[in-house]
Amino acid sequence: MASIRTTTKGATSSGDVARRRFTWYKIKEGVIPYLLIAPLLILVAVFVYWPLIYSTYLSFFDWNFVRPDKNFVGWDNYTQLLDDPRFLRSLHGTWIYLVTLIPIQVFLPLGLAMLLWPIRRAKSQGAYRVILFSPTVVAWSVGAVMWLWIFNPLQGLLNKVIAEFGVERVNWLSDRNTAIWTVIIVATWKTLGFNLLLYLAALEAVPHDYVEAASLDGASNWQIMRTIRFPLITPTFFFVLVTTVISVNDDVFGAINVLTEGGPFESTTNIIYYLYEQGFKYFQIGDASAVATIIFVATVFLTWLQFRFIEGHVHYG
Amino acid sequence: MASMVTAPRSRNARQRGFLGRILVHVIVLLICFLTIFPFFWMFSTSFKQADEVFTKDIQLIPLHPTVMNYPDAFNYFPVAQWFWNSFGIAVLTTLGKLAISIPAAFAFARLKFRGRAFFFAVVLATMIVPGVTHIVPNYILVSDLGWLDTWAGVVIPSLPATAFYMFLLRQNILTLPQDLIDAGRLDGASTVKLLWQIVIPNIRPAIAVVSILSFLGAWNQYLWPLLVLNDFESKTLAVGMQFFTSNTESAQLWGPMMATAAIATIPPLLIFAFAQKQIISTFVTSGIKG
Repeated sequence: MASIRTTTKGATSSGDVARRRFTWYKIKEGVIPYLLIAPLLILVAVFVYWPLIYSTYLSFFDWNFVRPDKNFVGWDNYTQLLDDPRFLRSLHGTWIYLVTLIPIQVFLPLGLAMLLWPIRRAKSQGAYRVILFSPTVVAWSVGAVMWLWIFNPLQGLLNKVIAEFGVERVNWLSDRNTAIWTVIIVATWKTLGFNLLLYLAALEAVPHDYVEAASLDGASNWQIMRTIRFPLITPTFFFVLVTTVISVNDDVFGAINVLTEGGPFESTTNIIYYLYEQGFKYFQIGDASAVATIIFVATVFLTWLQFRFIEGHVHYG
Repeated sequence: MASMVTAPRSRNARQRGFLGRILVHVIVLLICFLTIFPFFWMFSTSFKQADEVFTKDIQLIPLHPTVMNYPDAFNYFPVAQWFWNSFGIAVLTTLGKLAISIPAAFAFARLKFRGRAFFFAVVLATMIVPGVTHIVPNYILVSDLGWLDTWAGVVIPSLPATAFYMFLLRQNILTLPQDLIDAGRLDGASTVKLLWQIVIPNIRPAIAVVSILSFLGAWNQYLWPLLVLNDFESKTLAVGMQFFTSNTESAQLWGPMMATAAIATIPPLLIFAFAQKQIISTFVTSGIKG
């Protein structure tokens, strides 16, 4: 009896241990995925999502960073923006950057990728890619400093070159008509390579069979590019479009700050630069936060628009 | 094979193809020239003596080259300290991004758990939040923590801007053969061991590319360090450059300014020159599809 009991007991307990070990293992394996994503999610929550909420909260207050108390002002910060000519001029700048730089950053590299594709086996291809990509790897501020030296009205190279042709000196950086173009030129130079690389990578990933089938049917290179390669790289095209719309005004901040500091007469200021000035030059935290909220809502809206109206034309897989 | 499948073409068409190629090379070369010229002009100016910088006519290559602009740059501003700050911040940001992105990429690619799709979306959605929208709250937080003028103040809030890299890594982990993972499972490897001993060694090329891109991104960061690093000595090169342009007294120092710009440019250019093949092939295998 006793011996049987012990055996039974022993058997039960060893089974328990095994089961417990198994459950422990299951729990551990069940928790591990969450532990693996936790650091990233916590940082994202603390430094991306919480600030969005807090910033929206701050946009309803009048505060200057240092005063201990914040005054609730309701929608005043938002309505005041519409009365601020500097804000309205910054919207104009934002618009100009959008309508010039989106086509430049989306289509120029696409065209260049299509030019480079037929000569991809040329020995010089590697050198072309390195050269065209090189501005991407330097800082916006440093790139802008290089161009500052070219645009400089007194000793800059550009004025020396046009003087050779008898054209009079232009104050590129302080003339209202030209200043914003200096920023646009630097942005074009700086961003061409990255999107070009994305397009070239996408072209390389196009399955060879499709192309061969078409060329057997006697399609010309251009026909193949237009009817086979381009539709197959539309996912990349869409990715470039969406990310460009989001980042274009953010990107030019460094160039604006180095080349023109938003001037002359806010002609080169965009909404990002306005936020920076309100927040960190004039310490109008409420204003800056209201602008941040507007930027966020506008970005989400523009992204939604593209998914709603353009994504339908994208060929996945 | 290739010649067999291509439809036979007339000599005329081939000639046109040849001329077309030449024309393409000419156009591309012109764009390359415009792209590279600002670099050339920067390096050229950085080796010029003051009187050559200010000549009235165009002096493409310095007649009497000098290296003195480089030590001069170090004398006017703490360029060595700035270089060290750029380097330290870039290295720490890269390590931090890898440390949080690799485990998450692995979990999202290969593990099954409740809420996976939701959490994945939460991370990817950060890509449509423009960085500028959270600078005010993050500045308040960083200054409350006493992190102004420190590397931590620049690095830690920058870490979550890694959704794109996490996505690249996940795509790469997805391309690993399922057999590889199964074999590891059969050998009784725990999840962590699987990640450490099987997945990471097999996605080294992608990790290298993410490291390089993130290093370059951190080295070149501008707006956030501009806000956090107010102390003269604590600045990075990308931010410190500003002193050459904003200070009226130093506005004439084009030689040393271009030398500093060259110092800020050389490390990222070298890194890219060595890694460009790898970067391109990672983009191809990841099949970035919006």
